[in-house]
Amino acid sequence: MTTEIPNQVAGPGAVLRTKSVGLPAFSRAVAQPLRGVGGLFLMSADAVRFLFRRPFQAREFLEQSWFVARVALVPTLLVAIPFTVLVSFTLNILLRELGAADLSGAGAAFGAVTQIGPLVTVLIVAGAGATSMCADLGSRTIRDEIDALEVLGINPVQRLVAPRMLASGLVALLLNSLVCIIGILGGYVFSVFVQDVNPGSFAAGITVLTGIPELLISGVKAALFGLIAGLVACYRGLMITGRGAQAVGNAVNETVVFAFMSLFVINVVGTAIGIQMTAK
Amino acid sequence: MTLQALNPRVFRELERPITTLGRIGDQTMFYGKALAGVPYAVRYYTRDIVRLTAQISMGAGTLAMIGGTLVIIGFLTLATGGTLAVQGYSSLGNIGIEALTGFLAAFINVRITAPIVAGIGLAATFGAGVTAQLGAMRSNQEIDALEAMAIRPISFLVSTRIVAGMIAITPLYSIAVILSFLASRLTTVFLLGQSSGLYDHYFSTFLSPTDLLSSFLQAILMALAILFIHTYFGYTATGGPAGVGLATGRAVRASLIVVVSITLLVSLAVYGTSGNFNLSG
Repeated sequence: MTTEIPNQVAGPGAVLRTKSVGLPAFSRAVAQPLRGVGGLFLMSADAVRFLFRRPFQAREFLEQSWFVARVALVPTLLVAIPFTVLVSFTLNILLRELGAADLSGAGAAFGAVTQIGPLVTVLIVAGAGATSMCADLGSRTIRDEIDALEVLGINPVQRLVAPRMLASGLVALLLNSLVCIIGILGGYVFSVFVQDVNPGSFAAGITVLTGIPELLISGVKAALFGLIAGLVACYRGLMITGRGAQAVGNAVNETVVFAFMSLFVINVVGTAIGIQMTAK
Repeated sequence: MTLQALNPRVFRELERPITTLGRIGDQTMFYGKALAGVPYAVRYYTRDIVRLTAQISMGAGTLAMIGGTLVIIGFLTLATGGTLAVQGYSSLGNIGIEALTGFLAAFINVRITAPIVAGIGLAATFGAGVTAQLGAMRSNQEIDALEAMAIRPISFLVSTRIVAGMIAITPLYSIAVILSFLASRLTTVFLLGQSSGLYDHYFSTFLSPTDLLSSFLQAILMALAILFIHTYFGYTATGGPAGVGLATGRAVRASLIVVVSITLLVSLAVYGTSGNFNLSG
């Protein structure tokens, strides 16, 4: 009979709070952020593993998806519409000067699908969904509710993190399609009614640069962004340092910053990979 | 009275327009008081303004460890500058004019990406930080303590931060713009292999000083709006630690909307329908 502690009991805290014994030469300023990154990867691997292990928390997943969709829907509309108008306004100035105003549909669709869609989705899922998740989990952590879960033999990663990660990924994917539609429609309305572009040539231009591959890449990017924003929020919420309101506020602040930073990096890499894959 | 007690949801729905209007009035009054407190803050809290300027540009806690607001905004604009170059080079390449990537960097970076990305960065870093800080003060009853000591809380906490933000924004935004230019240039010249002379020619031909100035106007207005929103949400946070976290999230959400709207409105106002842009000179 071995005395191995089953995985269910050792939650993320137990693994992550252990100090690393190696690398004594690292100064604290370097070691701390690196340890944070390592912890995030560790938890992400756990969360992905738990997706394939029963019982899957379907109810929590649905509730979280509904919650993220609810807090994100209105801000998405309010950010996507001005953003679209801004981009088609600037693009049309450029295209008209080049004498290619007929291509404005191509520009609007391409911009909406490849960049605006994923970026706006990211901003909203990280800014609205992830912050609420982090505030929720963070206040649970400082009330010792997470420790109580661990005592009850429930793994917080399985019970809380895995469904949240999946929910924010799913909602990001869905919001992305919404933003793409708003982008094209908004571009149409603004170009045709305000900047006097020919409606027929706008509609004809939509599919010039944008096809199924671009749409797929955009969806994949958005889903990835959503997953990562959810993971960062859960990690920062569970790994809260200190007690009280300042700690939760700082955790939310850092969630937004780290989510945005990782998302922008993924956007560069995703764009480059996408271009390589769709190169004609 | 009994009718209201029996139908709370109906009454809540009926009162919603009134509470919304009330909130708008409340915010406006708060902003007015914050602005009116600026002269007093400059006169009496100079040391705090200096301290807050440093704090705002460096961030607090873990964020300061990775370099604070400055590094984060720089990082975000670097990433978008790179994306713009990668995407622009390939899209322009599709129609055989990838030589114009430099022009695209000068045009799109200044007019869209740098202001929006810097605004997002500001909202995420110093905006959210301010909400967390003020919310914690409210939650720990420190703001009530200030009032009890006859220190004007709005002047001392809000106006000082607004002044500090206004001082910090110009250098921060300059660095953001320079980094976005650098990122586009490095990506185009070193990674995608365009000749640097070609890039620099189109870049400097189309980089217009008036565009740059109006993008600074956008950045300053955005910073002001972000500070207003975030101080308001922090100052009025309720509901303990969870409430502070939620207020931070709500403030970020609101300021994202405001950032994009301000960029759009200033662009429409400054560039107008003619676009203030001449390709042929």
